[in-house]
Amino acid sequence: MPPVARRLLMGALSIGTVLVLWHWSVGTVFNPALVPTPEQTFAKAWKMMQSGELFIHIAVSMRRVLVGYVVGCLLGILLGAVIGRVALVRELADPLLELIRPISPVAIVPLAMLWFGIGEISKFFVIIYATIIIVLLNTAAGVSRTPITRIRAARCLGASEYEVFAKIVLPSAVPYVLTGMRVALGFSFMGIVAAELIGANEGLGFLIMNSQMLLQTDQLFVGLLSLGIVGLIVDRIFRALLARSMRRYMQFLGDV
Amino acid sequence: MATQLQTASAAPAAVAPWASLEFQGVGKVFLDTRGRPYVATRDINVSIARGDFYCLLGPSGCGKSTLLSMVAGFEPPSSGRIVFIGGERAGERVSPVVAAGVDRSMIFQDAAEALFPWLDVEENVLFGPRLRSARNRGCKRNAAHYLKMVGLHDHAQKFPFELSGGMKQRVQIARALIMEPDILLMDEPFAALDAITKRSLQVEVSRIWQETGKTIIYVTHDIVEALILGTRVAVMTAGPGATIKRELEVDLPRPRRTTDIAFVELVKVLEDLLHEEVHGRAGESSRETRRSIA
Repeated sequence: MPPVARRLLMGALSIGTVLVLWHWSVGTVFNPALVPTPEQTFAKAWKMMQSGELFIHIAVSMRRVLVGYVVGCLLGILLGAVIGRVALVRELADPLLELIRPISPVAIVPLAMLWFGIGEISKFFVIIYATIIIVLLNTAAGVSRTPITRIRAARCLGASEYEVFAKIVLPSAVPYVLTGMRVALGFSFMGIVAAELIGANEGLGFLIMNSQMLLQTDQLFVGLLSLGIVGLIVDRIFRALLARSMRRYMQFLGDV
Repeated sequence: MATQLQTASAAPAAVAPWASLEFQGVGKVFLDTRGRPYVATRDINVSIARGDFYCLLGPSGCGKSTLLSMVAGFEPPSSGRIVFIGGERAGERVSPVVAAGVDRSMIFQDAAEALFPWLDVEENVLFGPRLRSARNRGCKRNAAHYLKMVGLHDHAQKFPFELSGGMKQRVQIARALIMEPDILLMDEPFAALDAITKRSLQVEVSRIWQETGKTIIYVTHDIVEALILGTRVAVMTAGPGATIKRELEVDLPRPRRTTDIAFVELVKVLEDLLHEEVHGRAGESSRETRRSIA
């Protein structure tokens, strides 16, 4: 069997099994008031799609994720490049970063509210926070791990200090940066629920939390499923777009 | 010919004709991981004439590569100095070797690290010329010329990861030659290759040296390699505190045959010299241990 067909079959098999188990377990294992059946969930999703409500939530959340993610990546790459390249900055920044790393995006929410109020800025801030650290750390690692031999080879070919950085160190770091960006994309989706804890009245995170308060479990499940599906699609698009345009920087590592 | 003129005019003024490259009492001291000084090499006094194929031969860890690094300008000597002497135009002017530059080009042992993996073969070779002039028409012709010289003209569009170890080294050589350096520095470039590839590359380097008349400083721990290639072979003592033990003229005709009597005689001489370094002067020089050094 060709690998693609096998993967499709396995995917269908695993999702199908879960759907069957889910259907069977509601009413036998789980309380129907707490867990809706798959049929109820899809009916609710269909209704929300027809009214356009679901798409509004998705669009609002995606905008927050996108803005926060892009800004977070840019800042992360910029700071990471400096930290990776300048030993003194790295030594000074390392303990700080170690300190910040365990602080989750949810923990940063109260601070975001205090600093930026309940508008969009505070939501961007939480997503930026969820994104920036991992991109920064990966960029710094990639930049500082450029083989010394490669840098020396460039010097022999007449490269200046700046040319070494722009044409050797940065391209050498690309695989690290892209790995960081891909992990960060997942983090930014995880951050959206935290971000929408702050005075939101639209968005997937809002939808999920609001459903909990209204005890609308079918709607809550629609929110969770949407988050998963949209995250998956965006990750696929990211891989297709970025990995293809950055192919020459990645190909020697094998399949991307 | 036109290509040669073009690159020569672009070379920095520091490359003014020189007659010899001299190590004057050169030593290198490192700090080890505990911060204690470690004397890698000391009292190196060597004079390499322009056009020499100078082989540095020595046991592993004797600081051969360190010497090459200092000539390349990657790191300064801890004591003494490395200077260019003389030249028709400069009289007896002495100019110390400064930071790395296009007049001295290094061929590294680890080609996978030295090549730029995101550039194809031709782009790797054109990296240096393109730093000087973004889109020079002559550049591409030049690249084709040097790729042909190292036998890679059919592989210009391949990426380094698609090449064998020997082909990667050929790319490095072409990439260095296109800069028209005064000196080629080669740091055990073929040590990681299989015996057959190694031999054919040695023959080619010998030919390229004859064709281009470059000065080559070549580091190796392989006696036969040193004798196939060098006009002079310097045997180093074992480290720490390694220095030059003996220099040997090699005036055998090229291409050299490893089975010629004169060649074998020189192998014996070098084996004995190296043997003393590895096993101490009192050591038994049985055939087995001799072989293991070669």
